[in-house]
Amino acid sequence: MLFAWMLLIVFLALIACMFEDLESDMGSQSNPNSQVQLAAQVGQVNRFFNKAISGEAPSYALYCTIAGVVAYVLLLREVNPLLAIPIGALAGEAIHVIFSVTAHVGRTAAQKRFEQPIYLDVLYGHLLPIATHGFMATLCITAIAYIQCNLGTLSGMPALNHPFALPLLAFIWGITVGAIGSSTGDIHYGAEREFQDRPFGEGKRVVYHGKITRYADCGVRTQKDIAYFCAKYGGPVTGLTFGVIILFESWRSLVGMMLGGYLPLQEAMASDTLLGTVARVATELLPAIPAAIGDLTAIIGILVGLAIGIVLIVGNVVIVKWARKRYGPFVGE
Amino acid sequence: MTVGGGPVVEEEKAEGFTFPPDVTQLGIISAIIAIVIVIIPGLPAVVKAVGVIFALLWGTDSVRKTSKYGLGTGVPSIGVLAMGYGILGALVGIAFAGILNVSIVQPGVLIGVIAMAIVGLISGVLSNNEKIIGMKIPGLERGMMELGMAGTLAMVLQFSIVAGSLNFDLVIEKAVSNGLIAVMFVLSMMAMFHPYNACLGPDERRPRTLMVSIEISGLLCIILGIFVAATAGSTWGVAGLVDGISLLIFGLIVWIVFFVKFIKTAMREAHSTVGTGLIRTIE
Repeated sequence: MLFAWMLLIVFLALIACMFEDLESDMGSQSNPNSQVQLAAQVGQVNRFFNKAISGEAPSYALYCTIAGVVAYVLLLREVNPLLAIPIGALAGEAIHVIFSVTAHVGRTAAQKRFEQPIYLDVLYGHLLPIATHGFMATLCITAIAYIQCNLGTLSGMPALNHPFALPLLAFIWGITVGAIGSSTGDIHYGAEREFQDRPFGEGKRVVYHGKITRYADCGVRTQKDIAYFCAKYGGPVTGLTFGVIILFESWRSLVGMMLGGYLPLQEAMASDTLLGTVARVATELLPAIPAAIGDLTAIIGILVGLAIGIVLIVGNVVIVKWARKRYGPFVGE
Repeated sequence: MTVGGGPVVEEEKAEGFTFPPDVTQLGIISAIIAIVIVIIPGLPAVVKAVGVIFALLWGTDSVRKTSKYGLGTGVPSIGVLAMGYGILGALVGIAFAGILNVSIVQPGVLIGVIAMAIVGLISGVLSNNEKIIGMKIPGLERGMMELGMAGTLAMVLQFSIVAGSLNFDLVIEKAVSNGLIAVMFVLSMMAMFHPYNACLGPDERRPRTLMVSIEISGLLCIILGIFVAATAGSTWGVAGLVDGISLLIFGLIVWIVFFVKFIKTAMREAHSTVGTGLIRTIE
């Protein structure tokens, strides 16, 4: 049961980070971010949505925390979680839309001397996609926080309930999802898309700044093209990154708990059989036993984590070597 | 988040909505109002919310003043830093709130504010000193000091709204251990840095920026109001319910007024506001 909930968390993380990445493309918070900020200043007037709500990590911490607090309040009032979590996510997205409007309007108004107008259709047309993509991400994060908060109760071992309150977990997961979404899957950014004919790894020259915000394959480019482009590969790969991180992390803790004897002990103590009584009495009389089991659990968990880390590092080195060989000489070598 | 634009030229225009006091005056006025409200924890939540708004307004102005030099990516960071100071200072403050009591006035909480002013000043001096970090940002010492004080005042006021008093154990129980501190932290830091971050650009104008801060403080009041009203039964009864609902209504009014005002001002002051249109062709 515990493993099933863990896998559910991994799946929710995958969905959350995928939608988070696509939402940040929609609002130009991650993908051609600095390009959009600079475009008008170098004369490239554009029809992009300029959603400058700090970085992705603090902004997702904001939406997820609001969602977490509202859900927490509703849960205190004994509303069903299936209702409380979506309502919380809705509140988070309302805040998201308000911040998006102030950011876009404020930034565009501050670029007056570069003759960048506020296009109302751009403003209104992007709000709904931003809200819907963000809603999916916030919903999944709030659900993860809820499951983690009540993991013990849900899986029948009350000792495994998370010591942190729901809003705090939502805050931490919000920062994590924003940080991963901002660092992974940016396949549209400047050099990656518009300059595919350049030598591998050349990067982007300053003279091309802002050009990517002007014209698409057909017509004037807006963020909807970018989200469409990224939904095929960038978004899913970002989701995969976050999902795999959560998978490895939970898997190594659970393996540690299994092999170290923590989970069997908890199971025994929760049961009403003779073994359960013996386990309860033994842990009462000899506190050194649970302490030793806890130490062993932590040690095994850390060792498994180190092993996973080493495998990932080796794998990365192999992939980078292969890519450099396959796609020609890397500029600067 | 990278922002170009180089040195920003200050252009004070008389048109439109303006905040009469300049940076120093606004700082002094806000500080006095917030301090007077913070040392009397028995006040109703709405009055404390006014104090929060002024403290965050002061913080926004300091962020703007410090970042105008061209911080760019540093704008969000400095807001987060301010609220980091704020949480530390608020915990120090409420730990000392029990001493120096004179009937309903609790000036002991100001020890936290003073402590953070000193810490802010020291970190400002360290960052600007050529021998240590050498950032050479003009006015950073004063900015950091003000940020520390504004953050602490805002945080103590929010603690006092939620817990109803400045008792350390009560604050830990009602504001910290249930995770509400996360939303206070994240919304206050947004209220400090989002205005300048959102209005950043060569044609940024101070009154417009400050309006966003008040608008976000309104949102903060709404969220705190919902929380206080919904948990009133388990905390302090009918008074809590009245406090929560009045806070909610106050926040709603503040938010609507300043949101509409900001959007109208920004749309009027932008180069042009058009329904739709193609982009200008570049030769």
